[in-house]
Amino acid sequence: MQAAASTNGRRSLVAFYWLLVVFLYAPILLLMIFSFNDSRDVAFPFRGFTLRWYHAFLTNPNLLAALRRSAIVATASSAIAVALGVLASFVLVRRRFVAKSAVSGLLLSPLVIPYLVFGIALLILFRAVDTFLTNTMGIYIGLGMHAIVIGHVVVSLPYAILTIVPRLELIDIALEEAGRDLGANARQTFRRITLPLLTPAVVSALLIAFTLSFDEYAIASFVAGDAATYPIYLYSQLRIRAGLPQMIAISVLVLVGSMVLVVATEVGRRRAERQLAVEETEGLLG
Amino acid sequence: MSTGQATASSNGREARRRHLRTWPGTVGLLSPPLLWLILFFLIPIVIVAAYSVGALSLFPTTQGVSFFDWKHFLSGDSIYIGLFWKSVRMSLTVSVIVVLLAYPVGYFLALVSGKRKYVLLLLIIVPFLTSYLLRVLAWKVILGSEGIINTAVVTLGLRDADHPVQWLIYSQFTVILVLAYVWVPFVALPIFVTLENLDRSILEAAGDLGASRWRTFWRVTFPMSLPGVGAAFVFVFIPTIGEFVTPSLVGGTSGFMYGNAISDLFTQGLDWQTGSVLSLFLVVVVLVLMAIFGRFVQVRSAGAG
Repeated sequence: MQAAASTNGRRSLVAFYWLLVVFLYAPILLLMIFSFNDSRDVAFPFRGFTLRWYHAFLTNPNLLAALRRSAIVATASSAIAVALGVLASFVLVRRRFVAKSAVSGLLLSPLVIPYLVFGIALLILFRAVDTFLTNTMGIYIGLGMHAIVIGHVVVSLPYAILTIVPRLELIDIALEEAGRDLGANARQTFRRITLPLLTPAVVSALLIAFTLSFDEYAIASFVAGDAATYPIYLYSQLRIRAGLPQMIAISVLVLVGSMVLVVATEVGRRRAERQLAVEETEGLLG
Repeated sequence: MSTGQATASSNGREARRRHLRTWPGTVGLLSPPLLWLILFFLIPIVIVAAYSVGALSLFPTTQGVSFFDWKHFLSGDSIYIGLFWKSVRMSLTVSVIVVLLAYPVGYFLALVSGKRKYVLLLLIIVPFLTSYLLRVLAWKVILGSEGIINTAVVTLGLRDADHPVQWLIYSQFTVILVLAYVWVPFVALPIFVTLENLDRSILEAAGDLGASRWRTFWRVTFPMSLPGVGAAFVFVFIPTIGEFVTPSLVGGTSGFMYGNAISDLFTQGLDWQTGSVLSLFLVVVVLVLMAIFGRFVQVRSAGAG
């Protein structure tokens, strides 16, 4: 692109890019290095290599309980969000109906709500429902993991839809029609043809929803009650210096795990996309 | 394939199949996701609105519906409106910094040819997909009064241990720095997509007509990329104006934001009515922004087109 940048301009752009990469990764790398520092203080000078902070969190029952809760909440909320997302995407891509743009607007609207406000709104909802139930039937639901799941489904749903819709648009409707012509009913067509072709998008949507939920603090902090999840526990420990080194150790592990997951998904998604493109070309040629 | 099904079909099954042709109806498919959002998203916000005018309250009161808190907030007597404008200034600063950092990167990535550009793009985006709290924590550890920078400065003998560099943490500067750090990766994407989709022949035409590269950029490329810049700007401004986690971790009292006030009203002050007014006001601000800038923000229209 001669018109876009001179050689010098290009060089400065390359330099700028790598400076930004350093800016983005340096803090994370520093944290990783100091997670091996043999000192209670996360500070210079470096006092030697140790794995004790990694051992420490393995024997910290509160932290392990919080991690378990986060895993449960993230599994449940991503499964529900993606199931709802598949339904919504299917209708948005394959059906015509009145007020379609209003419906898609509503489905995507959780993207722009400040999580702070949504967390508070959910808190107030649970309070209002509990007041009503206690007065009328003497039942009390309270806050907890179920409330976090409900909130995380709401904010994950738009991401699931935005991941699944483009893939669904790529799937040739003729494949589904062929299924119907060969005698499959709508349910069978969906189960045997549409869903298998959708799998890569469903997997990415699940991973996106899972990571979003696993890391989500703002909403969870208002509706968790006693059920502190991993981010809530992490936040509470950030104010106590003694707990800091092991929190850094576990965070580094979670961070490396999620980075690997993200890159693997992205690679997998691209491979699947290429495969679908190849299948379609072969279909045309054959 | 499974022809057995077709041959075995009796009249009854045929009738059922005809019924199943419309299974499941559009309404049937759409109601689970829509009901979820109505019950757990729209109704809660309506209840916040009810709280904000005192139609519902945390403790039983004799006071009925009143717009007093709204009037008090909007008239400017309340401390919260000042805090709101302070947060707007901070969020705007963050948005500007983030766009300034992300634009050259998006421009560079659009120039790179082949598959390499997606690898380079992924390198920028990956930090955004990792733990938010961890990235804030990293800065707290680096900038703290006994953090990595200050202890390094002391170890090198540049400063006395009793006099750490104070402004590094618990200031507006820290909040702005950390928020910019957190949001840069997110914004590189829309800017890159806009620049990538520009019609290159127009740029070449400008060059052929004698415009210098600099002039081509400012007169052609930049104006054409403004929608992407607008989208990026709004996508940073909206979450940062409602931010409360970062300021509470690294902001101290001078970095206190509007979101912290809301959070405190619900968790410590228990003044849910004022808190609801502030929350709903934030929702209105976001809706107004989306109404103005929504056309820039090309969230894929999800099949609506």
